[in-house]
Amino acid sequence: MSDYNICGVVIHATAEKKAAIEKALANTDGVEVHANTEQGKLVVTVESDDNYYVADIIESFKDIDGVLTASMIYQFCDKPNTTNQGMPA
Amino acid sequence: MKLNRRDFIKTNAIAATAAAAGVTIPGMNQALAKGPDDIRWDKAACRYCGTGCSVLIGTKDDRIVATQGDPDAPVNKGLNCIKGYFLSKILYGKDRLTQPLLRKTNGKYDKEGDFEAVSWDEAFDVMAEKFKAAQKKTMEENKGKPVEKMTSRVGMFGSGQWTIWEGYAASKLFKAGFRSNNLDPNARHCMASAVGAFIRGFGSDEPMGCYDDLEHADAFVLWGSNMAEMHPILWTRITDTRLTKPGCEVHVLSTYEHRCFDLADNGMVFHPQTDLAILNYIANYIIQNKAYSEDFVNKHVNFKSTPTDIGYGLRPEHELQKKAKNPNKGKLSNITFEEYAKSVEEYTLEKAHEISGVPKENLLRLAKLYADPDKKITSLWTMGFNQHTRGVWVNGLCYNIHLLTGKISMPGNGPFSLTGQPSACGTAREVGTFVHRLPADYVIMKKSHRALAEKIWKLPEGTIPGKKGYHAVLQNRMLKDGKLNAYWVQCNNNMQAAPNMNEEGLPGYRNPDNFIVVSDPYPTVTAMAADLVLPTAMWTEKEGAYGNAERRTQFWREQVPAPGGAKSDLWQTMEFSKRFKMEEVWPEELLDKQPEYKGKTMFEVLFANGQVDKFPEETVTDDRGNEYRNHEMTDFGFYAQKGLFEEYRRFQFEGPKKGHEQAHFDVYHKVRGLRWPVIDGKETLWRYKEGYDPYVKKGEDFRFYGRKDGRANIITAPYEPAAESPDDEYNLWLCTGRVLEHWHSGSMTRRVPELYRAFPDAVVFMHPKDAKKRGLKRGMTAKAITRRGEIELQVETRGRNRMPQGLVFIPWFDAGRLVNKLTLDATDPLSKETDYKKCAVKIVRA
Repeated sequence: MSDYNICGVVIHATAEKKAAIEKALANTDGVEVHANTEQGKLVVTVESDDNYYVADIIESFKDIDGVLTASMIYQFCDKPNTTNQGMPA
Repeated sequence: MKLNRRDFIKTNAIAATAAAAGVTIPGMNQALAKGPDDIRWDKAACRYCGTGCSVLIGTKDDRIVATQGDPDAPVNKGLNCIKGYFLSKILYGKDRLTQPLLRKTNGKYDKEGDFEAVSWDEAFDVMAEKFKAAQKKTMEENKGKPVEKMTSRVGMFGSGQWTIWEGYAASKLFKAGFRSNNLDPNARHCMASAVGAFIRGFGSDEPMGCYDDLEHADAFVLWGSNMAEMHPILWTRITDTRLTKPGCEVHVLSTYEHRCFDLADNGMVFHPQTDLAILNYIANYIIQNKAYSEDFVNKHVNFKSTPTDIGYGLRPEHELQKKAKNPNKGKLSNITFEEYAKSVEEYTLEKAHEISGVPKENLLRLAKLYADPDKKITSLWTMGFNQHTRGVWVNGLCYNIHLLTGKISMPGNGPFSLTGQPSACGTAREVGTFVHRLPADYVIMKKSHRALAEKIWKLPEGTIPGKKGYHAVLQNRMLKDGKLNAYWVQCNNNMQAAPNMNEEGLPGYRNPDNFIVVSDPYPTVTAMAADLVLPTAMWTEKEGAYGNAERRTQFWREQVPAPGGAKSDLWQTMEFSKRFKMEEVWPEELLDKQPEYKGKTMFEVLFANGQVDKFPEETVTDDRGNEYRNHEMTDFGFYAQKGLFEEYRRFQFEGPKKGHEQAHFDVYHKVRGLRWPVIDGKETLWRYKEGYDPYVKKGEDFRFYGRKDGRANIITAPYEPAAESPDDEYNLWLCTGRVLEHWHSGSMTRRVPELYRAFPDAVVFMHPKDAKKRGLKRGMTAKAITRRGEIELQVETRGRNRMPQGLVFIPWFDAGRLVNKLTLDATDPLSKETDYKKCAVKIVRA
């Protein structure tokens, strides 16, 4: 079953590794870093049409050197046909 | 401009995530305003652990399609853990039960038959027949007995995952209806030791502090707890404090290294059971260095000692029980401060180091931390202390340190017993589902407490039996011995969870004298061992309420309908009570005291009693005007949840005990929870401290009002060894527990494909050298064998848990590798809670 999946994650990184972590994340398919804070928090989304991919990627965040915590914030999962409809602005 | 729905949802995701991180992204709000949201969002308490995170549930067409951390929730401030991220999927496992299943042969109930789908009517017919037979026998056996000596052949095993009203209704059905105290929750396996120590130390259950301590403290000490995996959101809050507050320290003690050690300033791996010695050493250090608060100790503390050599809660014929000098004894005696000081004097740094194996400098650093008058310290623990054959003692030894130094009941300062289940506090502990308890900290052993319950429940005097029933581990023993015959398990997976499954659990369920009913959403190991399985509506398929570890009560509305014929535990309990005439459950002489109950059903006496049915049907709405169903209200014709909660609240206001007051039912549907006692609409953050707790008068400073004299107890207790330690043959320690991805027995999380794949099977974590000595390597299959059973599983020598030599860890979520075939049913003799953390095992090549 392939659904449209998206989740929002806050990653807490040690200050000195933050740049390297951001780079590693940017090189991962479906992962985007939208913002970061001075305290080392990164605002990240993971998108995929594969249910497993998102979970696997989130799990792998913890294995990146310097990542202290990765907290899920938002999760959506539904059939793509109901998510592709354009909507009037 | 058109905003694609995908883009809209993505914008939502970014906005929610940014808000949780405390970042504003320009343009976000304008973008969101442009997209219509066809998802209905409403709050609910998370289904899993005792942290009590609030999540926003996104529903579309009666299906949950999205969740997000609730940004307005004080507990999790918009965050969620990985299990919470997949919460919506626990409802939709492929093997969801939708109709009752009864074991049958040739169309008739047969204990040896196979499961067949039956109607609710047929299910309850057979079940009522079996309960009536057991009740009849019970009534014959109790003839002429005073209430203090009554026993019962019917019983129930309940849950810290029940909603508040489900636990309360069950408590009423059994203690009042069936007059059976054989009601115990699975919280016996996780929190009973904590409860025991709270009552002994403070005369009132549950922590004095709250999660606000996680920002106020200067230092955190984790006693055995692996918060990074088991309470990830609270760990995130600690991580924040550690990284932003200058001088903040984190000390972590455990029997092996886990993820919390990554953040630890002082990580300590100690030999199992030796936490008792370490805590006594710290107390000794504080006394020797005169670092105790003389003023606090003089004004607010009593000193007590407890009997020692108390056995291991095993069957009385067990060798270890026969050897004990004071089996199961716990009566406290008064001692002086000097006698207390003398009792811990032997626990020197050298001795603590020798017993525990922790380097001296680490122990000294920890002792100095507690002794430092300028450091605010929060101590945290969960199963390491509680699942311990000296669990009540070890909880108490931690209180001793906080009481000696006066570091208690203040922001950032306090001992904090964390909880494993979402409503172990709010339900299991607070509404009286233990064998000895009644709602709101009242107990069945006291006649005046029983009288209060009888008054509120409109029962004749002498209805509630005064003898403790069978606790969790004893229930399995009594099932096996044929003394407990009609048995209902709701909202837990005890065949997988209880210790020593081969020798005690399974023989009891399959005993031909017994009829076992299991209510569950899924065909768990326990359900498959039953005679009748009832399909259950879970979590947000019903209106619910949970109480978390910081005394916070949280409500949610019914979000989606349950599949097929699944019904909530509340519906099942109340509906089943309609099957009994009072004459079938109470003897004539009791009915003579209240003749108007003659000819009535238990439902009429317990639930249609003019109180529980007081609130008529109403439309449940939120503040945005959305309407919600309430299936129980529709079926019973009254607002059962509200009636039960309001009746329960009377226990908080009409008895002699103060300090457990909750707000009116309607309030909780509007707020993100409130921490009791709630006085004049205001919650209480720190109990027992002037200025924070309205029950402490001006000038008193502190008052531990759960106890008559207002003083807390420092109770001395020594180090005593574990029930079973490694020897030449079974030469390793076995510790069991959880992993991040799975919650408890995995009956929910293993049905989420993503979580299943993240950690599919239980493995045995062991030190590479221990593996090598046995001819094993990472990834090979090994056999784990104890005196009670064996299982096969893969060896893991790397990864998240780094084991010391001599100890292995096996998680218990895996129904295919049941670690409780291995564990010993040794309990704390005082709390009756099993020690799942220590027994002897051997590991060999499979």
